[in-house]
Amino acid sequence: MSDHALSPSAPARPRIPAVPGVAVALVGLSVLFAVASPGFLTAGNLSNILVQSVILLLLALPMTLIIMTEGLDLSMGAVLTLASLVLALIVVATQSLMLGLAGALGVGLAFGLANGWLVASLGIPPFVATLGTLGAAQGLALIVSDGQSVVGIPRFVRLVYSGEVAGIPNPILIGAGFYALFHVLLYHTRFGTYVCALGGNREALTLAGVKWKRLLISVYMLGGAMAGVAALLMTARMNAGHPTAAIGMEFDAIAAVALGGTSFEKGNGWIFGTLMGVLTVGVLRNGLNLMAVPSSVQVACIGVLVIFALFLDGMRSKKS
Amino acid sequence: MRAVMATTPRLELAAPPAVPGTPILELKGISKTFPGVKALDDVSFAVWPGEVHMLLGENGAGKSSLMKVLCGAYQADAGEYFHNGEKVEIRSPADARRFGIAVIFQEFSLVPYLDVAQNIFLGREFPSRIPGLTDRRRLYREAQKVLDLIGLEVDPRTKVHQLGVAQQQMVEIGKALSQDARILVMDEPTAALSDRETERLFEVMRQLQAKGVALVYISHRMAEVFALGDRITVLRDGKLVGRALPGETSPDELVRMMVGRNVDMSYPRRFATEPGEVVLETKGLSSTNGIRDIDLKVRAGEIVGLCGLVGSGRTEVARAIFGADAVTAGEVRIFGKPRTGGPDAAAFAGVGLIPESRKAEGLALIRTVSDNLAVAGLPKLFPNMMFSPGKARRSAQELIQRLRIATPSPNQSVAVLSGGNQQKVVIGKWLAAGTRLFIFDEPTRGIDVGAKSEIFALIDQLVAEGAAVLMISSEQAEIVHVCDRAYVMRGKRIVGELGRADLSEENIVRMGMHDE
Amino acid sequence: MSLAGDVSAGTPRIHLSKDMQQLLYRLLAAGLLCVALSVATDAFFTANNILNVLRQASLLFFLASGLTLVILTGGLDLSVGANIGLSACLAATVIKATGSPALGTLTGLASGCAIGICNGLMVAKLRIPSFIATYGMLWVLHGVTYYYMAGETIHGFPPGFRHIGSGYFLGIPIPVYLMIGFLIAGTVFAQRTVWGQQIYAIGANPMAARLSGIPVDRRLILVYAFSGAMAGVASIVFLARLNSAEGDIGEAMTLPAIAAVLIGGASLFGGVGSVFGTFVGALILTLVLNGMNLLAVNASWQPLVTGVIVIFAVWLDMVGRKRS
Repeated sequence: MSDHALSPSAPARPRIPAVPGVAVALVGLSVLFAVASPGFLTAGNLSNILVQSVILLLLALPMTLIIMTEGLDLSMGAVLTLASLVLALIVVATQSLMLGLAGALGVGLAFGLANGWLVASLGIPPFVATLGTLGAAQGLALIVSDGQSVVGIPRFVRLVYSGEVAGIPNPILIGAGFYALFHVLLYHTRFGTYVCALGGNREALTLAGVKWKRLLISVYMLGGAMAGVAALLMTARMNAGHPTAAIGMEFDAIAAVALGGTSFEKGNGWIFGTLMGVLTVGVLRNGLNLMAVPSSVQVACIGVLVIFALFLDGMRSKKS
Repeated sequence: MRAVMATTPRLELAAPPAVPGTPILELKGISKTFPGVKALDDVSFAVWPGEVHMLLGENGAGKSSLMKVLCGAYQADAGEYFHNGEKVEIRSPADARRFGIAVIFQEFSLVPYLDVAQNIFLGREFPSRIPGLTDRRRLYREAQKVLDLIGLEVDPRTKVHQLGVAQQQMVEIGKALSQDARILVMDEPTAALSDRETERLFEVMRQLQAKGVALVYISHRMAEVFALGDRITVLRDGKLVGRALPGETSPDELVRMMVGRNVDMSYPRRFATEPGEVVLETKGLSSTNGIRDIDLKVRAGEIVGLCGLVGSGRTEVARAIFGADAVTAGEVRIFGKPRTGGPDAAAFAGVGLIPESRKAEGLALIRTVSDNLAVAGLPKLFPNMMFSPGKARRSAQELIQRLRIATPSPNQSVAVLSGGNQQKVVIGKWLAAGTRLFIFDEPTRGIDVGAKSEIFALIDQLVAEGAAVLMISSEQAEIVHVCDRAYVMRGKRIVGELGRADLSEENIVRMGMHDE
Repeated sequence: MSLAGDVSAGTPRIHLSKDMQQLLYRLLAAGLLCVALSVATDAFFTANNILNVLRQASLLFFLASGLTLVILTGGLDLSVGANIGLSACLAATVIKATGSPALGTLTGLASGCAIGICNGLMVAKLRIPSFIATYGMLWVLHGVTYYYMAGETIHGFPPGFRHIGSGYFLGIPIPVYLMIGFLIAGTVFAQRTVWGQQIYAIGANPMAARLSGIPVDRRLILVYAFSGAMAGVASIVFLARLNSAEGDIGEAMTLPAIAAVLIGGASLFGGVGSVFGTFVGALILTLVLNGMNLLAVNASWQPLVTGVIVIFAVWLDMVGRKRS
């Protein structure tokens, strides 16, 4: 392979930028917090960061694929909230985790289908379509819960989040599993290739005889399904279903994806970048927490970081 | 349109030249209509195995539509397909592929952030032994074979967006070849290739021909037509206007068929005897878009041509003068004053750009004729910044009469106007703005012959009234017949200037071509 | 559907009347809603309720009218709700600190406008897609406001100030007068000034607008500044009406404001829409929500209905475009 890379007509540029910005941000922030706060660089805290980042990772993984199709899903946080409430209600009523999870997945898939249909079949711009379904999911969350938290979650649900296998916390295992799944999905299946083509050149897919509308719908459905999975962890973690639990969480997910170097144009995505983006958001929140900076300021910091990342992204695409 | 048809020389539309055997693919009576346009009108077309079939026609003649019908991307409204003499249906790209039809489009059908191998086998990924996954090792192995075949030396794992245009074109060709095509359709495949790459491509084509593959080849280069072609079909305005064998025709005859008239370029033009003051002057102008060291001058009352091959940097010069691309070195002077800032400053200084792509850059198609005519002149028409629809309409009415724009009313949507009338609207918007320097980029592109001479009469009138004109055109004949002087560009630089006496198509071509 | 069908009958009918027709249909819809609600509930057709509807519509209209200009350029401003939050809290602080409603009002307007200018700079100069730039801004504002307020509320303003939001003149709420004022000013700006025409031109084809010598960047910044300033106006009226400022004030207003603009016939693709249309859109949406209220539908249904309306309005626009 290397002899080809050296052939005169091949550009000498490496496939991945030498040091991606997100890695700089991640290391930089880590060093900063390690210096600023003694509690940061402890095994307990680092493990804590990983555990706390898992729910975000579960949203950011499918968000990467959605953004790669030149789309966006603003409804993810609200769908996660709704799914979490449905799961809590079902589990409290039936004492069955499986039924609850099925309910949460059902909610997620239904909203994913709606999003995908609006975007792919009706051609409505994704940010408006999913803003509309965000309203719908938020409303439904209030309606099913009547504005109240759902409590009395059985212990076996909590164990999903707090349990561990061979000394490794469950959330980390779940997160690692899904990361691996998405890596394989994106780089080793037709689906992943087509996702890249959806954003890069839909015409090419049509000419290759691929029915791209169905494919696009399935990408949004994957996002919904992952919101359902995240709902299980969320409910287990909070030990309740809360009608505003994950409002705005899609922003952290979009932030992580944008930080990770996935572009909003042309299907240029990078799943490992998203992982680093998620960890950056996790480190930022954790570090600011340790320094007793309120959560509201954390959100503002992430906002600034994202705008900066997008600015860099714009600069990069302008250059090429 | 009718007038054009009347002057068309009679062409033999009888049976195609006799060939032994059945054509591998035959289309009969293909028609395809889009809202407002008859893209293909009763076109019949056949290819035989092992031949190179040249398809000729001007822009908008229907070549692309025919290709899209061939590959199943469009469905014809009427017509029949025969594959090896058997009637078949082609309703989708999958159908076309089943019959061994592969198409190489001019606009690339490549996905920028997939690698070379993934692009070549898009939609035909190799399944792995593990269900659901793809066999990446095989993918790269097969891709390497394809690259070896076409002689492209790149790593199949290179992302396509990192390749140059020529390399992308070769990947596109590899993609079509890898489909084991029996009928390969190519749309100006050599447009972006170097001589060496072109030679390599022709070699591959000859190999394919020997294997009995039928090649349909669209080209504008007469040399290629006669060097490669076994059979020639000419389209014009969506209709089949002629078939010929290379041995029995000449380039002149083919051009006549394509254009539909004896090439008569005598546009009305009163040449200025004494040009006026210098309106535009650039010194050492370079821009972010790659042009370097451009020195040119345009005086009031003269039409100055800017010519050269497509991609030589003509449009970029226009954009830099107009402030649409940032200037990196040198300067632009308008009436002796340095121009700074963007297009708004240029427009204020009296410069108007009539861009190449009317619909994308010249007009707001969802707005009315009146709106479009007012858009550049708003600050001039309404100096106190208050807009009056009545005044705008009156100004539009005046321009409609002066330019003879065929529209039922100023409130008509500009989208429904013909190309020629749309072009007049773009010119009109600068008249309303009081423009003194007009930069025309391909002013007659996609405009029928009648409207062309009207546009030139208009340009002539502009300069007669003391305006200065810089005109870019790919049709050298237009430059020769219309311009007082012309600059010739090559490789993003100006390589020469031709005065009225030296202005001939031969000189332009000689200066504009690479020294090879 | 039938509405779009009639309009696109492409005979040489003049363009203006096409927009007029669209507006008439919308007014008709508003009228039908009124009739239906009058029949369905006793409480609707009372002076009190009508004035209430108008006052609610006015709040929505302030926000939506600025947003209309943004959407006319083909952009979107998702930060208007969060803008209200920060501007209201800053204005409240200044009123409390100085005791001067005038200074407070000025603060609210200035803060709204400044936020808008930031949005405009991100869109025009950094070339970040507007929905993403303003979405990022939304969360920045959100964070800053919550941090600034730290869960506190500021309440109790001078009666003169509260008059802006809850006072009456000749039996009609003050915000309704403001709404009419801004409706006229907005319409004149959009239809009868050079800047307004340039904004339409930018939305219709930004590339052609730029190559026609329109200073696109400056107009974009202006438009986002306008949208921000109108959020400032809304924040003042809101503050005066509620008599208290909290971090989440205005948070739930973004989606309804977008809905009002889209119901009013503006196209997300730019170049189509009007301030008057948005006024009608705000009325229709308020009528729907008011009607749900009177029919004793749980308030929880409101975001759902609004979300569905947004999607429906965009879909109508797309169908209309495909036909023409």
